[in-house]
Amino acid sequence: MTKRIYILLFVLVFSHTAFSQFVGRDHLSVALFYMQKAELDSAKKYIDLAGEDESLRTEAKTWYYKGFVYKDLYKSQEKADKNSPYRLEAIKAFEVMKPLDVENEFAESTSKILKYLASTLYNDAVRSLSPETYTQAISHYELYKKTMKAALPSTEFNSQDVKFKMALASMLNKPAESASGLDSVQVIYIKKLYTEILEIDENNPGANYNLATLYYNEAADIINSMDYDMDIVQLNKIQDYCIEIFLKGLPYMKKSYDLNYKRKETLIGLSNIYYGLNDIEKSEQYKKELEELEKE
Amino acid sequence: MKAIFIMNFTKLVEWPQSYRQGNFVVGVVGDSPLYTELVKMSKTKKVANQSLEVKKYISAAEIGKCHIVYVSKSESESLASILKKVKFNSTLIVSEKQGLVDKGAGINFIVKDNRQKFELNKKNVEKYKLKVSSNLEALAFTVK
Repeated sequence: MTKRIYILLFVLVFSHTAFSQFVGRDHLSVALFYMQKAELDSAKKYIDLAGEDESLRTEAKTWYYKGFVYKDLYKSQEKADKNSPYRLEAIKAFEVMKPLDVENEFAESTSKILKYLASTLYNDAVRSLSPETYTQAISHYELYKKTMKAALPSTEFNSQDVKFKMALASMLNKPAESASGLDSVQVIYIKKLYTEILEIDENNPGANYNLATLYYNEAADIINSMDYDMDIVQLNKIQDYCIEIFLKGLPYMKKSYDLNYKRKETLIGLSNIYYGLNDIEKSEQYKKELEELEKE
Repeated sequence: MKAIFIMNFTKLVEWPQSYRQGNFVVGVVGDSPLYTELVKMSKTKKVANQSLEVKKYISAAEIGKCHIVYVSKSESESLASILKKVKFNSTLIVSEKQGLVDKGAGINFIVKDNRQKFELNKKNVEKYKLKVSSNLEALAFTVK
């Protein structure tokens, strides 16, 4: 019995010692204590409590450290998770912190962390470029831009937008090269991507060539699937529609030609578009140029 | 597209009774991508109850009894010889060079605003004992 009393006393004394160091300290201080000891789960518990505390929630440092803890949690536990909730929570914390940090005390460090988080989002966006997960790639890329903008407001995304959209459009356009083809919704979306690229960089050779090819294929598919029994009234309507599409594609294929991109393919493209436009003379002209090129 | 036009011509032109038996023959004189298209069409389509037969002729001399003779652009100069050859037949002459509708062709393909259209010379069709429907006249770009 005496022995049991001693054990109980020891437990009580020890617990008192362990917790006494936090007596009178706020949640933020406790969170910092655990952060220093790299005990992230405990740090998370107290930094979350600090965020709910009336007196601490208006302090920039509360949100800075929350962002810091969640960034470390992401690094240590969710690096492989493309949809890491810790990463999102970290970004959110820094967003809350920004207007509270009137002295810019945490600005430099926050910028570095946000740049790091943005880079992970960009990498995940690129890794998600597949037919199954491309919508995720788009949302990661958008969040990458938002995060990067928060880190460095002067960041300019034009060249990166072009790169990302080209990669996305090329990936989505792949079925067009196989027998499976593309459905009309996909074609509209891919055209939109190439058009957006050309709004940024009108001399982008790949976007010009691919957009022209999409237009050409669209009209050619309609023509190839026409029924021989179609009456002339209907035929004329389809002709009007297809001519309109060929004409839309023509300037992009001409641009590709001017940019000397994929010479052979572009010459075939121009010859085919002019054939579709019933301009046999020009169609033959590009065909001849192709033959000359093939002789070289 | 020209193949679809040709298919329409078979429906909008009436051939004499003696031409409504056996195969419906379309002859192509000279090289034209239309030949391949017509051959493809002949595998699935009929003209009324007549099977479609597509023949390729290198020169006017080879032309036999045809319902339609298509004169490719490269053979436009041979139109006179072709007309001579089909003189006693009921043959619709279709060409694809500007002005041929004034030189004996019944129908001539033209391009207007990038669109494939056709001109019709009713007299040149009817002199071979063929009847032109009013619909064909209405659909032609010009009628002579």
